[in-house]
Amino acid sequence: MTVAISIDNLVKTFGSTLALDGLDLEVTTGEVHGFLGPNGAGKTVTIRVLLGLLRADSGDATMLGGDPWNDAVDLHRRIAYVPGDVSLWPNLSGGEVIDLLGRLRGGIDPRRRDDLIERFALDPRKKSRTYSKGNRQKVALISALASNAELLLLDEPTAGLDPLMESVFQDFILEAAGEGRTVLLSSHILAEVEKLCDRVTIIRNGRAVQHGTLDELRSVTRTSIIVATDRTVEGLDQLGGIHNVSVDDGQVQFDVDGGSLDAAIRHISSFGIHSLVSQPPTLEELFLRHYGDELEASANGASQS
Amino acid sequence: MTSVASRSMIESNVDVEGEAGRTDSLAGLGILIRLVLRRDRIRMLLWFVGIVGLVVATAASITGVYNTPAQLEQYAQIVRGNSALIVQAGPGYGLDDPTTGAVMMNEVGIWTLIAVALMSVFMTVRHTRTEEETERAELVRAAPVGRHAQLMATMVGVTVANVLVAAGVVVSLLLYDLPAVGSIAFGLAIIGSGLVFAGVAAVGDGWLSWLTWLSPPGWGQAIRAFADERWWVLVLPLVAASALVYVAIQLQNRRDFGSGMIPQRPGRADASPWLAGPLGLAVRLQRATVIGWTVGVGLIGFFYGIVADEAESIVEDSPEMAEFFAALGESSITDAFLATAVLMLALVATGFTISSVLRLRSEELAGRADPILATPTSRRRWVLSHLAVAVGGTVIIMVVTGLATGVGFALASGDFGKVPSILGAALVMIPAMLVLGAFAMMLYGFSPRWAPFAWAGFAWAIVAGLFGTVIDIPEWALDISPFGHVPAIPASSFELLPVMLLCTIAVALTWVGLVAITRRDIQ
Repeated sequence: MTVAISIDNLVKTFGSTLALDGLDLEVTTGEVHGFLGPNGAGKTVTIRVLLGLLRADSGDATMLGGDPWNDAVDLHRRIAYVPGDVSLWPNLSGGEVIDLLGRLRGGIDPRRRDDLIERFALDPRKKSRTYSKGNRQKVALISALASNAELLLLDEPTAGLDPLMESVFQDFILEAAGEGRTVLLSSHILAEVEKLCDRVTIIRNGRAVQHGTLDELRSVTRTSIIVATDRTVEGLDQLGGIHNVSVDDGQVQFDVDGGSLDAAIRHISSFGIHSLVSQPPTLEELFLRHYGDELEASANGASQS
Repeated sequence: MTSVASRSMIESNVDVEGEAGRTDSLAGLGILIRLVLRRDRIRMLLWFVGIVGLVVATAASITGVYNTPAQLEQYAQIVRGNSALIVQAGPGYGLDDPTTGAVMMNEVGIWTLIAVALMSVFMTVRHTRTEEETERAELVRAAPVGRHAQLMATMVGVTVANVLVAAGVVVSLLLYDLPAVGSIAFGLAIIGSGLVFAGVAAVGDGWLSWLTWLSPPGWGQAIRAFADERWWVLVLPLVAASALVYVAIQLQNRRDFGSGMIPQRPGRADASPWLAGPLGLAVRLQRATVIGWTVGVGLIGFFYGIVADEAESIVEDSPEMAEFFAALGESSITDAFLATAVLMLALVATGFTISSVLRLRSEELAGRADPILATPTSRRRWVLSHLAVAVGGTVIIMVVTGLATGVGFALASGDFGKVPSILGAALVMIPAMLVLGAFAMMLYGFSPRWAPFAWAGFAWAIVAGLFGTVIDIPEWALDISPFGHVPAIPASSFELLPVMLLCTIAVALTWVGLVAITRRDIQ
């Protein structure tokens, strides 16, 4: 198992703003890695450091075995990038931009290009200034996906796409993963991440707060349980790791931390279980759990002022 | 703020199609005016300092040099007889019976009006057409803001800027004891001329930007400040500005937001073979600009060439003039005129050189450097591609301009023998132009925020080149301008050393900029 991207304790400041605060990130070769975080968490800064556009203050970053800053040109032969906010040359047509970027990467396969244009339903003759955000996004995506890059750096690539185009995008990412390419996918669309990604890293305020496979993340977070028992469940509150207990007429509903699941089920089973529904945490819940205290803090701040 | 917005919202709910719709087209005007003034406060300050500073410096030196009626008469004699100077500075009203004010107007009047015109055009375009191409403009238009509010807010903002500059000029003239009536007349001419150009730019916003170049700032001179003022002339710019704003409003009623009157033609479905690298892209992006500058500056050169032939005959009729130029030790007045003309053309064309280098900055700030630099294109290669276009474009403009000036002169005089030396005069300007371009590159290399200060170098080159002999500027300060070191062909002979030095400086500044940009963050 080789490593495509390895970031260790990366720090980047802009003046007095701390954009990356000791970020760690590891992307394994051949995986689709989800990169999640709220707005301003540092996702784009991280990707721009990997592109050698920004120079980190301290810490280590390695991409495809090279140094993103010093080996930028060589590394860029092997990667393709889709920015979050695609800005194109207003008087060039979409087709011209696709070809230009493809040739800059060392050539473009015309069949693959035409196939992508058709699948994404892009009119390549239109001048870039007349494209909507979604269409500009398609131009960048087509040029990246038409390349033979072994690593795709995608910064919220589907932000402006409609659901139909998003599913086309997902097909192409799965196809790329099938070919053994590595993808770093920064995204806000959790359903997309759940569908595409093998592992995810959640960052916040420039630090990685959690990383692992979705299963691993689920195991450390709460599962919702609804259980109907013969006798009313008692003493559940005394167990550790149990939250939001509500008892209602022979049915009890609660959330349980991953580590306390075993103890909780043992306890309940003594009351005679006759039905049990267990809901694994969705990515939304993972997300909310990590950003929740931020929401709370801002709510408190608002109520205090 | 909110009360204005909410009131107009209610009005438009009540009566969308009726009379209220007409006043609603200006809803949000007050807020937008404040936004225009807030966004331009630094720019307005710089224009104010530049224009008023030029007037103050000229007034200071003229009142110092031309004290007696005899000295003023001597000046007037030189100017009256010289069509070359009239071409550069305007008709020279009031020089039959010269006063300090008339001399002042002849020296700095036209340049002040041109500067104010440029300020008004840039400001208008920035807040109308340029703004409309951004996505933030749609945020503004989606708010309860009337269709014409942005245009009118811009006009109000430009008017404020013009009035401030005019007030500054009038106060400076009064401080140098120039007559109040003439000073105020000139102030009003500034406002009038500025507003006409704002109006032209506003129409161009909707449709025809080339109109900008048809309107002469001569209207402002025709008021004859300090020389038997003709107040009725002020009616012209006022009527013209109002009519132009009216036309701009009508155009806005007819066209869609964000588009012109002329529909977009579809482009190519795939790139032509030469659009294959950063150089191909840079050429493609700047091709039209190079052609425009070449045609524009070339035409002015052709015109200068034709006029230059007259210069000689005027001197032959005027013994004083002959004496004057003999005292300067120059070979002939024609050559002196041609040398000055080529210098002016080069100064104008330097505007291309600098803005072409600064294209790097706008590409970076618009986020269009990222996709290029994310490919195996080094920063150095990306920068050098754009610099190659800046250098190539400068050479093309100067070659064509030199030839056009030479051919113009040859057609008027029948003397084709001068074409090579006029072309040489134009070519020898290139190193000095590149020094200013390289200065822009160096600043940009360190930070895109500093890059616009390259225009300060450009402004200084113009002041030193055109007013160096009029205003009392210390020698060392004049020497900062690279154009001060260029041999004035055909009046003087070619010297290799200064040209080599200028080339070396240009290369050195570029190199510093290149090293700097490979070390900093791309924004």
